[in-house]
This record gives sequence, C-alpha cells and structure tokens, in this order.
Amino acid sequence: MKNNKVLFLASFLLIIIVFVAGCSEESSGGDAESNTTQEITYASTSDVVGLSPIDTNDSVSSNATFQIYETLFIKDPETMEIQPLLAESYETPDDNTWEIKLKEDITFHDGTPFNAEAVKYTFEQIKDPERAAPRASLLAPIDTIEVKDEYTVVLKTKEPYGPMLSALSHTNAAIVSPTADKEGDINKEPVGTGPFTFVEWAEGAHVTLEKNEDYWREPAQLDKVTFKVVPESSTAISMLETGEVQFLDALPSDQLPRIESLNDVEVQKSEGTRVSYLGFNMEKEPFNELEFRQAIAYGVNQEAYVEQLNGLGIFNESIIGPKVFGYNEEASEATYSYDKEKAEQMIEENGYSGQSITLLAANRDNYMKMAEIVQSQLTEIGLDVQIETMEWGTFLDTTRKGNYEMTFLGWSNSTADGSELLYPNLHTDNINASNYSRYNNEEFDKLVEESRMSVDQDYRKEKLHEANLMAIEDAPWIVMEHGMVTAAYHTSVEGLIVDPTGSWSLYNVSRK
Amino acid sequence: MIGLIVRRFIQLLLLLLGISFLVFMSMHLAPGDPATVIGGPTATASDLEAIRKDLGLDRPVLVQYVDYLGGILHGDFGYSFQTNQSVSDAIITRFPNTLKLATASMVVAVIIGIIAGILSAMKQNSWIDISSTTFALAGVSIPNFWLGTMLILIFAVNLQWLPVGGLSSPIYTIEGMKQLILPAITLGTASAALIARMCRSAMLEVIKSDYIRTARAKGVKQKSVIWIHALRNAMIPVVTVIGINFGGLLGGTIITEQVFAINGVGRLMIDAIAARDFPVVQGTVLLVAAIFVIVNLIVDIIYAFIDPRISYD
Repeated sequence: MKNNKVLFLASFLLIIIVFVAGCSEESSGGDAESNTTQEITYASTSDVVGLSPIDTNDSVSSNATFQIYETLFIKDPETMEIQPLLAESYETPDDNTWEIKLKEDITFHDGTPFNAEAVKYTFEQIKDPERAAPRASLLAPIDTIEVKDEYTVVLKTKEPYGPMLSALSHTNAAIVSPTADKEGDINKEPVGTGPFTFVEWAEGAHVTLEKNEDYWREPAQLDKVTFKVVPESSTAISMLETGEVQFLDALPSDQLPRIESLNDVEVQKSEGTRVSYLGFNMEKEPFNELEFRQAIAYGVNQEAYVEQLNGLGIFNESIIGPKVFGYNEEASEATYSYDKEKAEQMIEENGYSGQSITLLAANRDNYMKMAEIVQSQLTEIGLDVQIETMEWGTFLDTTRKGNYEMTFLGWSNSTADGSELLYPNLHTDNINASNYSRYNNEEFDKLVEESRMSVDQDYRKEKLHEANLMAIEDAPWIVMEHGMVTAAYHTSVEGLIVDPTGSWSLYNVSRK
Repeated sequence: MIGLIVRRFIQLLLLLLGISFLVFMSMHLAPGDPATVIGGPTATASDLEAIRKDLGLDRPVLVQYVDYLGGILHGDFGYSFQTNQSVSDAIITRFPNTLKLATASMVVAVIIGIIAGILSAMKQNSWIDISSTTFALAGVSIPNFWLGTMLILIFAVNLQWLPVGGLSSPIYTIEGMKQLILPAITLGTASAALIARMCRSAMLEVIKSDYIRTARAKGVKQKSVIWIHALRNAMIPVVTVIGINFGGLLGGTIITEQVFAINGVGRLMIDAIAARDFPVVQGTVLLVAAIFVIVNLIVDIIYAFIDPRISYD
C-alpha cells in the first residue's frame, strides 16, 4: 500500500514513454514515405566549412558545392577522361595559351549570365592574394586571363602548364556568380550554375538544396537534397538502416561487415586515388641513410595490413597509384617487396641492430592500426620501435616542423594527376610545407618540373613514371595502401557513381 | 539573499576573468597551429604566414588577450576562424539543443534517482535495494558512448520505436519528444545513479535519527514519516548532487551530442578544439563555466528554502 504511489508513478512514466515512442510510428520509418518522393539525405561526418568553392578547401564542403556550382571541364566519373562542362571546346595555339570557348545561354541561379567575364572574375578572385583562397595554387601558373569575346576566354601561362585541364576541372575552380559574390557572401548564400540551388544552411545541422528547374541541361530528377551532419559513423549506419538517411560515403573499413549485412542497402566500392604511406624524416639519422630505409622497406609487409581492411585497400607499392595519371604497371614491380630475411640481414650488416626509433601516429583514420602492425613487423627484424600518438592538430604542427622520425600520412589526390602528388609531397619547393619527408633530390625535382611544364600528355606520363621509379628507389616513402572509394545507399537510390577521387554528383541520381 | 546574489555575481565575474585568461593562454600555448589546420596539407609556409596575419595571430599573445577582453566588454566574442561566423551566433543557435538535452536528462535522473533512492532506503537489504544499488553501480560505470549506441540499436534500429538521432523537431511535438528520449536516458543514467546513491544514504541516516523515532512512537503513519518528515531533511545533499550534476550535464553533453547527432554546444566545442578554432573554444568554455557557477548559486538559494536555518545574510 505504502509503495503503491511510487510504483504507480513509475509505471505511469513508463507508459508515457512507451506511448510517446509508439505513436506516430509511421513517421519515424521514412522508408515507406521516401519511396515515393524524389528526395535524398546524405549523412556527412562534419559540417561544411563554407559554400564558396573559392574560400573552402575541405572535402565535406566540396561535396555540397559540387552540386551547386560547375567547372569549365569535368572528369568522367568512370573513365576519368576530361570533358568540357561549362566550356564548349578549347584550343592551345601555343604551349602557353589556352583559348576556351564557353557554352552560351547559361545563367547563374540569380539570373546573372554565365560568360567570359564571369570566368575571368572567378579566376581572378582565386588568384587574388587578398582573398587568400586556399587552393590558389591550382591556378598559380596562369599569368593573365583575357576576355576575347563574350564567350571566349584566353588563359596565358608563363611556362607550359601540363595539368591545366585537371586544375580547371577541380571543384575549387568552379565558376561563381560575380553579382552574388560582389553583393553578398557566397560562402553562406552560394550561387552557381549547377543542377541544384541553395535553400538553407542550418550551421552544425544540415544544408538543404533543391532542384534547379531552369538548369541548362535536363533538370535533375531529385527535388530535394539534404546534407545532414552525423559525426558518429555507427549512428550514420543506424540511420541508413532505419531510413533516416539514404546515403553515406567514405565507409570505415571496420564497419563494412555491418553495412554489407543490412537489408535494402547497396555498397559501392572502387579503386581510388588516395595513397597512404609510411614516411621518413630524411633529415634525421639514420633515416638519411638509404640502407636503413631499404631495410625497413623490406621489413614492412603491407599485404598483412591491407588484409585487415575488409577489402577497402589495394596492395600496390608504387607511389603513383593505379588510378592516378602517370602510373605505369612497371613501377609496382620495381619496389622493395617484403623480404624478412633480407631486411634482417641488412639491419645486421649495417649495424642497425637494436636501433631505437619512434613511430609517430595520428589518432585518426587507420593510422593507429598501421602503427601497431608496422611496430610488430619491425621489431621482428631487430629494431626497437616505440609508438607515439598525437591528436590531429598537434600532429600536423609537429610533422610540418620536422619534429619526428617516421610517421604515417595520406594524400587524397583530388585532381588524379601524378604531378599533383609528386610536386606538393616530394619536391624541394615544398620542404617546410607539404613535403613532410623533406625529400631533396635535384634529379627528381627536374623530372617533376618537366611533367608539369609540358602539355604533351604522353611525354608527361613518361616523366612521371621516371620520377615515380626514382622515388621508389630512394624510398622517402613506403606505400602502405592505395585507397578505395566507397558509398552505401538505400536500394531505391539509382545512378550514383563515386569517382576515384571520392567525389560524386547527384545530377543523375533518382529514387525509384 | 540579495547580498548573496551580488557577492556571487562579483565572484562570477572574477572567476570568468580568470578562466578566460587560462583558456586563452592554454589554447595559444598548446601545440597545434590554427593556420596549419585551416591551410591543410597543401599550404606553403607563406600561405600559413598570410593566414596567421589574417587571423591576427602574428601579434604578441598578451596583446591578443587584451584585445579579446575588450571585445567581450562590448559583447563581441569574436569570429570563428573556420566559418567566420560570430561566436555568439554560433552558441545561440546551439545552446537551446544542449539546454533541452540537459534538462530532459536531469528530469530522467531526478525521477529515477529519487524513486530508486527512497525505495532502497525504505527496504534496506531487500531485493529492491539490491537491484537499485546494482543499477546505481552500473549507471556510473557504463560509458555514455556504449549506452547510447546500445539504446539506438535496440529502440531505434530493431524496435523502430524512436528515431536514431537529431533534435530538429520542436520539443512540444511528439516527434520532438521522441527525439529526446534516448539521448536523455543516455546522458541521465549516470546522474540518476549518483542521485539514487546519495538519496539512499541520506534517507537511511535521517530515518535512523531521533525525531523520526519520536514521530513513529507518536503513531505517525509510515507514509507521512517518509514523505513529510524524512524526505525534506534528506534532500539537502541530494539537491547539491542534483545542482552540481545539472551544471555538469550542461557542459558534459559532448559524447551524447556526438552519438545522437545533436547540434549542441558540446559538439561545437569539440569540433572547435580539433580545428584549433580559438574564439569558439574560448566562447564555449566561458559559457559552460558561467553556467556551472550560476547553477551552483541557484542551488544555494534553494537550500535556504528547504532548510530555513540556512541564511546567507
């Protein structure tokens, strides 16, 4: 009797919870509803930084801007061949001149006409030091931008610039509406020519886009697109399962078995351009000695690591990966493949036995897993390896200053061009910046420069191959894996293709 | 009472000044450079220099701090390094979500905690007591992250009773309440456990005191003994725990917000720390500190109501 009140209160509460939980169940399911509407919700691991292609540089922002803005050229997501998009055609009267004819009768979402002036305006903004565009380097080789007539723009470079078309097809070189940029903040109110127009950005929560009915091609089939911020991958997967979101990308390898077991969910996996590597600080002893790097290269068994990735990694020790321009199969055979005995022998012969080294690993992505595997492999060949872990912000600062011996890093090659891998990462120009290994080799530098300064694509490919072979032999890096690009989506989603750089367009996507 | 509030308010200002200094300095002196994070791996040394100049990070730290304080006095908490949004706007957009979550969790914690605490004190060493103390032990030991994920798997994925995450619908709608249930249980469980333990021991102590024995001897019914005579006196330590916990909940929603994809202050803070977004980190830490102090002041005021012997004047 005495406890009745308490028990009653407790049961009452339970009943309310169950009632609230139980009622309007049909609205939580999403599945039934979403089958009939042309809407899609994508779960993004973080919020966009901004919505201006000029002022942002991160992949999350690019996913959204790619649907709103368009570039002069675009890579075919399957073949990676570069095709005109806003451009109609182009000519190169000489090695330093690119005359680009633009498509006519296209307008931006705000009604501003798309023409040569808009291209000139956008490119000048990207190059403007005051604006400090994070990807200004894409267009740095362009010296002048001239408007020849309303629909022809002429780009002149000081030196021949081989990766020009790759640069012009990069999402950060997308053309923005000059009116919108001058009069407002396109980082918050984006205006492009793309198949989707901007509706809303609730910071930290979601970005919403809708179909551009006046699109210059056939309008997209989706009416509404939402980029929803879901930081936890396991939560995002649960949402995919319940129908709260319909699409995820960059799937974590440890969650893959769970995703693949879901009903009504399809998984897309294909080879990507990202490379992950074990990099040495070539200014520290004994990492400046080729024999030491070679011994480690022989001692690391990348296959054992790739096997742990549930199929989300490709074993290939070439620095330029199979999906990157400049790759030649020969390179994958010219590497220091795993040979434990040889590694042990080199360690012993050169007096490195028991050498104590610190392996720095950032506590994100798969770096910790790599560190543990490599530590045990190198211990087996007679080295004393300590792992030091760091949070990402601290890690970037430490490695950039060269305060490390060896570490893991990756490079997502967003142009899929070998020059854009070798130049930023291994050219002497970028020591103290993105050349974390501080690799310094004049001959290599020359090959990379030749690959950048020619517009003859066969010649470029040859130079890149030579540079690749040279870097493999010098071993400033030991490639751990080449990445896969992945997506998981509800079976009602059709027409989605993730290209090797990991980007995707929703233009051809529909719900059935 | 007014004297107390004024005194506490002055203390609050001094405390916030101290905290702002500590946070400012620790962010600036800690390893990790905002320019490196913003510039990304492709930035050159001169790009980084330009970014630092643009953010005003090239000036001496103390000058930056004085500048920052000056801004705060004018109500300007600065702009995010990442998005260039005003810090006050960023916090104002997200704070309602954190407040909703913390309040709902506290409601869950107080109801479960007090009921469990009283029941186990009344029936000491019975199965109710044993299960309630076991719950309390489990509640404080289970990590939020795991509990949240399990609740999602059971109630959202398998039973499909509740949504997985988000807090987009208004609280007064059924959808809004449904969105709050799992995060509130996740965040409230540990506090419920603490409150239950505290409530149990406080009740046991009070029940054994002389005046309760006298009341019983005079033939007062058990119900009145517990609810009227004992509970009020057992409430003082419980209110302290509730107060401190609520302050803690408001600042400790990070993991729950992360797991349930809730756009709150906790997530804003953790993202800002990772991105070395100094102004946002400073703004959110100051907010959490201020709330903690204010909640404690409210707890002190409530004491005076519960126990008239307590006077602050």
